[in-house]
Amino acid sequence: MVTSRAKHKWGMVVDLDRCNGCQACVVACQAENNLPINDKNAFLQSRAYEWIRIERYWEGEYPNVRARFIPVLCQHCENAPCEPVCPVFATYHSAEGLNVQLYNRCVGTRYCINNCPYQVRFFNYWHPNWPERLENQLNPDVTVRTRGITEKCTFCIQRLRRAELQVERRGGGTLNNETLKSGNYMPSCVQACPTNALMFGDQQDEQSPIKPYFDDVNKHNIHHEHERETRGYRLLEEMNTKPNLIYLKKVDKNPVKGGQHG
Amino acid sequence: MKLTRRNFLAWAGLSAVGAVACDVFQEEELSLQSPRDLPEDLVKGRDNWYATLGGQATGGEGVIVRVMEGRAKKVQGNPKYPVNRGKQSVRAEAGLQALYHPDRISGPLLRTGPRGSGQYRAIAWEPAALDILRRELNARRENMVLITEPLRGHLGMIAERFATAMGGQHLGFETLDQTTYRAAVKDVFDQDLLPDFDIANANFVLSFGADFLSTWGASTRLATAYGEFRQGAGRPERGTLVQVDPRFSMTAANADRWLPIKPGTEGYLALSLAQVIIEEGLQAPGVDVNALTDGQGAAALNAYRPEAIAPMLELPAQLHAGRTAAEYIRELARDFAGHRPAIALGGDSAGAHTNGRFNLQAVYALNYLVGSVGQPGGIRFNPSSPLRNLPAAAKVGSLQDWMDVADRLRSGRTRLALIHDADPVHGLPATVGFGGALNRDDLFIVSFSPFMDETTAMADLILPDRVFLEDWGDDIPEPGPGYQVLGMQQPVVNPLSDLDPRSFGDLLLSMAQEMGQESALPWPSVEAALREDVEALYNLNRGTSREVDSAGALWNLMLQQGGWWDERRTGQTPSPAGGLLNRIAAAAAPPDFSGRGEFYLLPFAHNSLLDGRNAHLPWMQAVPDPITTITWQTWVEVNADKAAEMNLREGDLVRIESDAGSITALVYPNPALPPNVAATPLGQGRRHGSAYATGGDARESSNVMDLLPAGARTESGGLAWAGHKVRLVATGESLKVSKFEGHFPAREIAITSGEEIIKTTTGEASTGGASGH
Amino acid sequence: MQEGRTLSTREINRDLLRSILESPRWFWPVVTVLGIILLVAAIAIGIMVNRGLGVTGLNRPVAWGFFITNFVFWIGISHAGVMLSAILRLAKAEWRRPATRAAEVLTLFSLMTAMIMPIVHTGRPWRILYWVFPYDFARGIWPNIRTPLVWDPSAILTYLTSSTLFVIIALIPDFAVLRDHTTGVAHRVYTLLAMGWEGNARQWKLQITAGVLLSALILPVFVSVHSIVSWDFGMAVAVKTWHSTVFAPYFVVGAVHSGVSAVAFVLILLRWCYGWQDYIRHEHIDALGRLLIVVATGWFYFLIMELLFGMYGREADELAVRGLQFTQWPYNAWFIVFVVTTYFIPVILWLSRAWRRNLWIMSIACISVNIGMWLERFLIIVPGLVNKQVFSFTWADYAPSPFEIIIVGATFALVTMLMLLFSRVFPLVPLYDVKEGDILKTEVKVGRRTVPATFRED
Ligand SMILES: Nc1nc2c(c(=O)[nH]1)N[C@H]1C(S)=C(S)[C@@H](COP(=O)(O)OP(=O)(O)OC[C@H]3O[C@@H](n4cnc5c(=O)[nH]c(N)nc54)[C@H](O)[C@@H]3O)O[C@H]1N2
Ligand SMILES: Nc1nc2c(c(=O)[nH]1)N[C@H]1C(S)=C(S)[C@@H](COP(=O)(O)OP(=O)(O)OC[C@H]3O[C@@H](n4cnc5c(=O)[nH]c(N)nc54)[C@H](O)[C@@H]3O)O[C@H]1N2
Ligand code: SF4
Ligand code: SF4
Ligand code: SF4
Ligand code: SF4
Repeated sequence: MVTSRAKHKWGMVVDLDRCNGCQACVVACQAENNLPINDKNAFLQSRAYEWIRIERYWEGEYPNVRARFIPVLCQHCENAPCEPVCPVFATYHSAEGLNVQLYNRCVGTRYCINNCPYQVRFFNYWHPNWPERLENQLNPDVTVRTRGITEKCTFCIQRLRRAELQVERRGGGTLNNETLKSGNYMPSCVQACPTNALMFGDQQDEQSPIKPYFDDVNKHNIHHEHERETRGYRLLEEMNTKPNLIYLKKVDKNPVKGGQHG
Repeated sequence: MKLTRRNFLAWAGLSAVGAVACDVFQEEELSLQSPRDLPEDLVKGRDNWYATLGGQATGGEGVIVRVMEGRAKKVQGNPKYPVNRGKQSVRAEAGLQALYHPDRISGPLLRTGPRGSGQYRAIAWEPAALDILRRELNARRENMVLITEPLRGHLGMIAERFATAMGGQHLGFETLDQTTYRAAVKDVFDQDLLPDFDIANANFVLSFGADFLSTWGASTRLATAYGEFRQGAGRPERGTLVQVDPRFSMTAANADRWLPIKPGTEGYLALSLAQVIIEEGLQAPGVDVNALTDGQGAAALNAYRPEAIAPMLELPAQLHAGRTAAEYIRELARDFAGHRPAIALGGDSAGAHTNGRFNLQAVYALNYLVGSVGQPGGIRFNPSSPLRNLPAAAKVGSLQDWMDVADRLRSGRTRLALIHDADPVHGLPATVGFGGALNRDDLFIVSFSPFMDETTAMADLILPDRVFLEDWGDDIPEPGPGYQVLGMQQPVVNPLSDLDPRSFGDLLLSMAQEMGQESALPWPSVEAALREDVEALYNLNRGTSREVDSAGALWNLMLQQGGWWDERRTGQTPSPAGGLLNRIAAAAAPPDFSGRGEFYLLPFAHNSLLDGRNAHLPWMQAVPDPITTITWQTWVEVNADKAAEMNLREGDLVRIESDAGSITALVYPNPALPPNVAATPLGQGRRHGSAYATGGDARESSNVMDLLPAGARTESGGLAWAGHKVRLVATGESLKVSKFEGHFPAREIAITSGEEIIKTTTGEASTGGASGH
Repeated sequence: MQEGRTLSTREINRDLLRSILESPRWFWPVVTVLGIILLVAAIAIGIMVNRGLGVTGLNRPVAWGFFITNFVFWIGISHAGVMLSAILRLAKAEWRRPATRAAEVLTLFSLMTAMIMPIVHTGRPWRILYWVFPYDFARGIWPNIRTPLVWDPSAILTYLTSSTLFVIIALIPDFAVLRDHTTGVAHRVYTLLAMGWEGNARQWKLQITAGVLLSALILPVFVSVHSIVSWDFGMAVAVKTWHSTVFAPYFVVGAVHSGVSAVAFVLILLRWCYGWQDYIRHEHIDALGRLLIVVATGWFYFLIMELLFGMYGREADELAVRGLQFTQWPYNAWFIVFVVTTYFIPVILWLSRAWRRNLWIMSIACISVNIGMWLERFLIIVPGLVNKQVFSFTWADYAPSPFEIIIVGATFALVTMLMLLFSRVFPLVPLYDVKEGDILKTEVKVGRRTVPATFRED
């Protein structure tokens, strides 16, 4: 690993007990990152783009039934299965813990899509089109992806870069939990989330609210989950992809078990 | 070369060394340099963030807008704005697409074809368009009607004064109007403004019908509070949410318990809970039960004992397995009263029955029993406007008002209709016949909307307004955050050069002055009116005004932070009127359902389209509904088992038939819906306007309002939109549902705990660690 | 052991060069029809490249579909050549002689065809250069040697190179015959190609040694090619039913199964088309049939093991995919068709000696195998993606679009067309090999190897 040069190690914590499924994060991400408009065909053809999506799972039977929501985005795996399979290094791991996608290198083999266990990589089957006037709204910091390449959540890397530029160069300080919070630097989805189900920060920053969760989950690995002091866990933990995302368990005092294995 | 064992070994050794070397160099090789990594790659130029308001789509959120080189790039919550504190609803980004929408009306249009045909020709503002407006105002101003979206602040005041000065009437339009809720709040709390709920500090929230995590009330504000309610740092316990709702709404999906009650019986359940609380002495300390019941105590509500009420609620037996429904209600009452601070709130379908006002009265009265009126973790009340001339509540017409307007139009007494950003033709029940009422030759209609819609399509003259990101304005949020706030809206960009909109407010002001109404409307522009009142605010010398030392500085500060507020000027805490519970009990009446059919029809506001006002925005159309994940289409949710029984599958096109009309919708079998309920969202079924709203197959885009008979009203004259029974008739056709969910039932398939996606825990102790934010 | 009458070399030359020296009446119409199909497919590819892969039926979970299925299929077919020429040559199986050339040429053409598939399936085919070749020196970014997608082209290009050499070396004596039978431009071209072949003892010795050496060298390549293709799937940790250790041998045996069946069918076709009854004889087809029974049964064993191992783990997501394969329409139907056509129909037909010698029945059996083997690849690739991982929320079905069907269909036309055109220029049954076989019946021993007793053509 080349972590030695890294100033930060970014991470996200998703509190499933806060998320209410409102989809504000979904639209916030689409607006920030120039995602193509999902027309009706995108849904009919199962090709809709949502770098962050809200999955809804049913549990139980009427009337003891639950609809459970979970936001799923790129997990920015330390052991990312998507990375080694790309023939052209279009997807690789950054020193700061981000899984980065290089649009201009991607040739569109879609192998990375197959090998991502979290189903968060999106292929541009068509060239994205906006009505001319709507193009005014596109974020100039984010490449508009052409047809034929793969795209995914970037942890809003453009916001992090702008933040570094502004905080570290102009202000002379460092990018930390406080400056993240006071600026508009948080990933778009995190900033939007009304319930604060999404938290973002630097795993190395003592002040960061996410650090305790990462420390806890890292300390008590997969065979010692029961020793964890927080509700933290990683998605598909047994695959050992080591995501830089941690989920906090949903609290459910009256679990419904029926129909779980539907 | 001969391949001997010796040189075979040599070659093998060499390649091993090579492999090791490759591995060593790999580190370098993998340290790719991404153009994205390089700050230099960010485009040159500065971005500025301007504070303003989020417009109609958001229902009163404050936003900041990123502007680069004259173009708005991103809208997000204003961290300083008291209502939403830097957070935003799914609807917040809508403004950006409205701003750069390809289907904006670019300049004045004059009707050339028959009314409603959509045939217009472009004309110039000066002199043509304004001359026509002057002429018609002069000729027809008597009894004119000015129909707008619910307006507060200066624009609300200007609209009101303009209509009055012209000798007519101003009415705000809202599809699912809050008049019944407002009446119940008045009845129970004697308040004119809608309250705020301190859910963040509550331990128990009992919600009757109100889908407050999606669209009801200040939903973004309440969602933030909900996050704290669940996992806020330093809370004594995790809050419990119980949703009483015949529909499986987003709020029901997030509730710890969901009670699929018979529609319209919410008030009975609430009174029954009150009865148990009083009988068992569970009320909060210091609550004077005798005052609430005229000294009768539990006896006042004897008729509402759970044993008496349970049968009419029709709670499914599996819900209270192992005990009777009455015991279940008793336990709910004990839970509610035992986890103070507790809040009871209600709205949406609970208030949209012939007995809706009673239902909501009974629900809100519960707050007195648990002592949460005006208390932390309870209901907070909003103070009036900081400036006397500004309305804090929008003037919104009830169904009765709209019937009256339609009558006046039909009889020819009203000969001029001015319309701004409101679509009553789409949003009123078809039986009101508003479209027909507008379709008269002796009527002149002016629309100021920047987009075509059903009502604007009836207009003779269209004078497109600026959208809110291009215009001045202000807002007194309602429901407010519990203290005085005046939000400030500023133009963050200029209209694109190919567009020529004019500010509606400025136009009203100049017309009024030309008609000699300077005394009522003396300002040259909305901005001037704002500046004048900022001076008045400065002179109040409290709240934000104390942070600056001149009115000019206050103006600048308000532009920077998005408004003025005074956290110390809170609302008054009411005390209950004597015998409140007796009076509510006396007003009890079962709901009256119109129509024949097997299903209770429950329309609901769409999570992103709301009543349809966002239907022209592709982002809003493309947001999956949280429960069904459907986009772009109209669906009807039917209990999954019931659907199977009726041989209906997902995507089957059914006709929903009421006594007033019929529409078509796609079936979505929902595992969580009572078998006798059919739920359909508002928002689609637009026939005029942007292709994003109207471009689809007409069979899968319907307006549920077309099903509602205008006759069914609440006690306060509101539309009883949940009081109908309908039939579902298969058409035999089937369409593919454009939903985000895949093609297979989305149930977790995990067998081992390692495979689970959504892990749950029953414990609370395990919430340790930092909670963030 | 050889059946049929002994032919004079003059007869052999006349018969086997007939396809080159005369033009059968059906030839040009067939080529025209195939050409039209190819033109349509070329237009389809053009539209696809121009408008994007949206014209396919691929979607979010199912990012690989018909094209990759077809890629694996043609790679499989390409295994026939080496199997018949190299292995049987080393094993000195006499009956291989008339089949070798057709098998080798089929190898070449199916490899080339297979290579088209991953290229057109990429989102930006015009950029694949830096996928395969390390050209980007400026930024120091080389192709990623960790991915099977780089092993793939290496293995396939190696296989293509060695197979081409193989074919050319075997063709040299036949080029000489053609040189002697033609005039004009053709003569000059064949003269060039014959590389001064005189048929002297030294040349024969070199030619035979080269053939034997190449046979031995190509064997590891042969095993590796389909193993590596299988690792495209086996290495994908995130697709439950792909991530399987048994894939390499399973794929290799499957490839031999489909490839040899395809060769048998091509031989039958050639016999009909050019009247080569005396060369492609029942005994040859019979022998291929017997070989196939063994290969098919070995393949079937791997199939059962694959399923068994997969199910044994009882992991929910693996079971979900198996559930889809076995119970969900139309996958369940395709699964039954696949097992029946790949194993039961052909093996039952091959069990009887009389049926093995009935060319109609053999044709049916061989086509059946290839239908089944195509389905096999489809049923491996697609269901694993349809029900990928435990995220049942995102599971979505896949159906090919007309574009995919046309392009995949056209690959069959392409291989047929290439074979036909080849048969017009080069002999599809090796003359010298057949002659050698005839002569060998006299069993003349020279040193450690049996070699022809005569060194000259007449
Ligand atoms: N901690 C620890 N680690 C060990 C060992 C140890 O003792 N302790 N032992 C080591 C030894 S000796 C061994 S052999 C390895 C074994 O380690 P692995 O090779 O991982 O063996 P399994 O865990 O038995 O199987 C892994 C999965 O592969 C699937 N699988 C295997 N073959 C096939 C196939 O052909 N088709 C399909 N569809 N699926 C297949 C099975 O469903 C199973 O779920 O572990 C080694 N690692
Ligand atoms: N139930 C079940 N049975 C299995 C398998 C399975 O997955 N499940 N897997 C099968 C497979 S693949 C395998 S390889 C076998 C493995 O079966 P075993 O060969 O029995 O392997 P282990 O169980 O690892 O036990 C090896 C023993 O060697 C000891 N040991 C460790 N290091 C040393 C050393 O340096 N020197 C000496 N002398 N002893 C040492 C260990 O303490 C242990 O007692 O099991 C097979 N049986
Ligand atoms: S979640 Fe998927 S795309 Fe993201 S790093 Fe992991 S494997 Fe790669
Ligand atoms: S699709 Fe692009 S990023 Fe993914 S593996 Fe292929 S080239 Fe790499
Ligand atoms: S981090 Fe940024 S790119 Fe990733 S999902 Fe959130 S908003 Fe989208
Ligand atoms: S914005 Fe937050 S609460 Fe809403 S769906 Fe996304 S993560 Fe959940």
